[in-house]
Amino acid sequence: MSDNLARVLRPNWDNTPDPVQAPDTRHIEIVSTRSQRRARPRIVYALSAVAGMATIVIVQLLLSVGISQGAYEVSRLQASQVELGRTAESVTEDLVRISSPQSLAANAEALGMVSNSNPVYLRLSDGAVLGAPASATGSQGGSASLVPNALLAGVPLVTQLPQGTGQGAGVGGAAAEPAAKVADVAPKAATHGIPTPATR
Amino acid sequence: MATNTRSSRRRIAGTIVLLFAIIAMFVVKLVDIQIVRADTLNAESLGNRSVEQPVYGSRGDILDANGVVLAGTVMRYNITLSPRNAAEFTRTTDAGEVTVTVAQAAAEVGALTGKTGDSILAIISGALAKDKSSDYAFVAKAVDVDVFRAVDKLEIPWIYFEKNPSRVYPDGAVAGNLVGFVSSGGEAQAGLELGQDSCLASTNGIETYEKGADGVRLPQSTVTTSQAQNGGDVVTTIDSDLQWYVQQVLAKQAKATGAAWGTVVVQEVKTGKLVAVADYPSVDPNNVNGTEKADDRGSRAFTASFEPGSTFKALTAASVLDAGLATPGSKIVAPYRYLPPNGANVNDSSGHADLNLTLTGVLIESSNTGMSKFGELLSDQQRYDYMTKFGLGKATEAQFPAEDSGILHAWENWDSQTKYATMFGQGLTTTALQVSSIYQAIGNNGVRLPVQLVEGCRHADGTMTEVPATAGNQVVSASAARDTADMLEMVYQKGWLAAKWNIPGYRVAAKTGTAQMPDGHGGYTHGYLVSVSGFAPADDPEYVVSVSLADPVKLNSSAASAPVFQEVMSQVLKKYRAVPSGAAAPALPGTW
Repeated sequence: MSDNLARVLRPNWDNTPDPVQAPDTRHIEIVSTRSQRRARPRIVYALSAVAGMATIVIVQLLLSVGISQGAYEVSRLQASQVELGRTAESVTEDLVRISSPQSLAANAEALGMVSNSNPVYLRLSDGAVLGAPASATGSQGGSASLVPNALLAGVPLVTQLPQGTGQGAGVGGAAAEPAAKVADVAPKAATHGIPTPATR
Repeated sequence: MATNTRSSRRRIAGTIVLLFAIIAMFVVKLVDIQIVRADTLNAESLGNRSVEQPVYGSRGDILDANGVVLAGTVMRYNITLSPRNAAEFTRTTDAGEVTVTVAQAAAEVGALTGKTGDSILAIISGALAKDKSSDYAFVAKAVDVDVFRAVDKLEIPWIYFEKNPSRVYPDGAVAGNLVGFVSSGGEAQAGLELGQDSCLASTNGIETYEKGADGVRLPQSTVTTSQAQNGGDVVTTIDSDLQWYVQQVLAKQAKATGAAWGTVVVQEVKTGKLVAVADYPSVDPNNVNGTEKADDRGSRAFTASFEPGSTFKALTAASVLDAGLATPGSKIVAPYRYLPPNGANVNDSSGHADLNLTLTGVLIESSNTGMSKFGELLSDQQRYDYMTKFGLGKATEAQFPAEDSGILHAWENWDSQTKYATMFGQGLTTTALQVSSIYQAIGNNGVRLPVQLVEGCRHADGTMTEVPATAGNQVVSASAARDTADMLEMVYQKGWLAAKWNIPGYRVAAKTGTAQMPDGHGGYTHGYLVSVSGFAPADDPEYVVSVSLADPVKLNSSAASAPVFQEVMSQVLKKYRAVPSGAAAPALPGTW
């Protein structure tokens, strides 16, 4: 083509008989066989492929949303684990502190207990009393501070706790709340410091 | 046409060269970014979104024999602030948004940390005066979780927190002399903390993670750069309850008698384990500065040696018996003053006429002259060998930091007075532990066991390492040890303190000592070191108790230490359910 003029071409699908040609020209068409027709792609396949892709995209989106949602959840749970760990540590510290010999001795004395340094034994084989029985003199009386423990500063004795809070009432701030809850369901709070077991 | 072709060729060539140059530049840049500077750039990019934080390995605990924690690690928090950012801020409360001024915030923080608001304002202004762009200043160090939470709740934007793993000693001064302490920076400074540092020490690790714009940790992005290693637990042989009782009794008597210091050692006869080692004065490791003198912060039972005095006569008696040169009934005449041929001059503590004493009687009367007459039956070298076999002159196996070995000069260097003085516990020095160990050997049929304070280092998987050796060695024969124990029982029954240290129901073997204290310049002070050492039940010895009180000004004799021995031994026998003695002690004559 050496020019750029548009031309109307006669479309080759125009089957109308050429008026100039012989009118008896027969119309011939190639008909595809059944198997050929069956083998031809169907729209269904295209649709299902597109739908599949869409599903994959959506699932992927949902998954990533889920994962990042999970990240927030994990982050929140980790934060709460740290917090609970701190609470546990603080409560354990309180417990260990009041389990110290100084604290136990001071509390026992506050409750009126004294240690007897005269051990006396009863021998079961012949009923012999070994040792000289003598009443306890409260040998440690008033001397509980001779072995200091700086951790116990400001920790009240059982007898100094407000009445009715039960013997477990808190030493540290963290322990106070659960202890108060326990006291609600506890049978009967000690009135004179010493809980009396109910014997039947 | 020819020129035209040439110029177009040149143009093509130029373009190609230019193209190659550009490509080469890209390649160079690519290599530079991808290979040469890859690590730095990666780190830089990661640094923008990644967070690096230390993972604290926790220092091991120091436990008593029953697993009670004597020293543990807890997390504490340092409160810091950024002085240059200290400004008022708005806080959202139930009542809406409230503006909080710096002074107000400082007062709130001060109330929680036990400071005044003004002192916190002073911290800010002080830091700014030094450096205008100061971004870091301490408000409070090592506050506990409760304070940390309360301050955190204030949500002051220019207050920051740092983790500060700290040491806590739940039992305070109970075994504080043994456990020792660490500095505020976490450096081990004394006692087992120092001596067992290699077991206790932990290594901190580092982990990095990436965070999103909202500060949330990205999933799967945590990388542990180096693993944190927890320290091992040191398991001691100490019983914390008994230790408390012993410290209490010792402190009470030391105060009552005005003693400068005192020690009590309780040791198991059959294992060599120390169940209690009390010192007065002692340190509360939670409050080290509460004990003023640095000397009072350790354990004198390990680190101070003294001339033991008459408690040492048990060793001389056992040596003579073992050598077969005397029996408990061997007879001598003990004068007040004895002048042996070598020029020494030995006298008893108080004047008396010549006494007809057996070896048992010499111990009962605690006669120096009598003991000299028995001691001289052995050669100096023999006595020196017995002393070293009993563990004198070298530190015990407990391996306590700065432990004293005591002074035991080689026998060749003894002068004539020292030759005799070493028979009754002068002219040489021992620690309280070494004295206890002598009695342990006598009580254990002559077998001296290594002094044991630490059972070992227990790791996370439950394995124990550094377990000390427990093999003993026969110092004197079993019969010599048995005879010595019988004689010491006579001392307990007939000695001048018999009424003061009586423990009904038990047979006890014990010996007093009253030794002059060296003044550190070759002479003696006026003070005495009064002591009692012994074991019970004498028929089947279980526990050694050794009490020493230095210079009890109000009661300058072993009568000061006897009540401590009585109370501690009673408690030990009661606590460990020692079976009361059945048969009476064999009666040995003291005189003839």
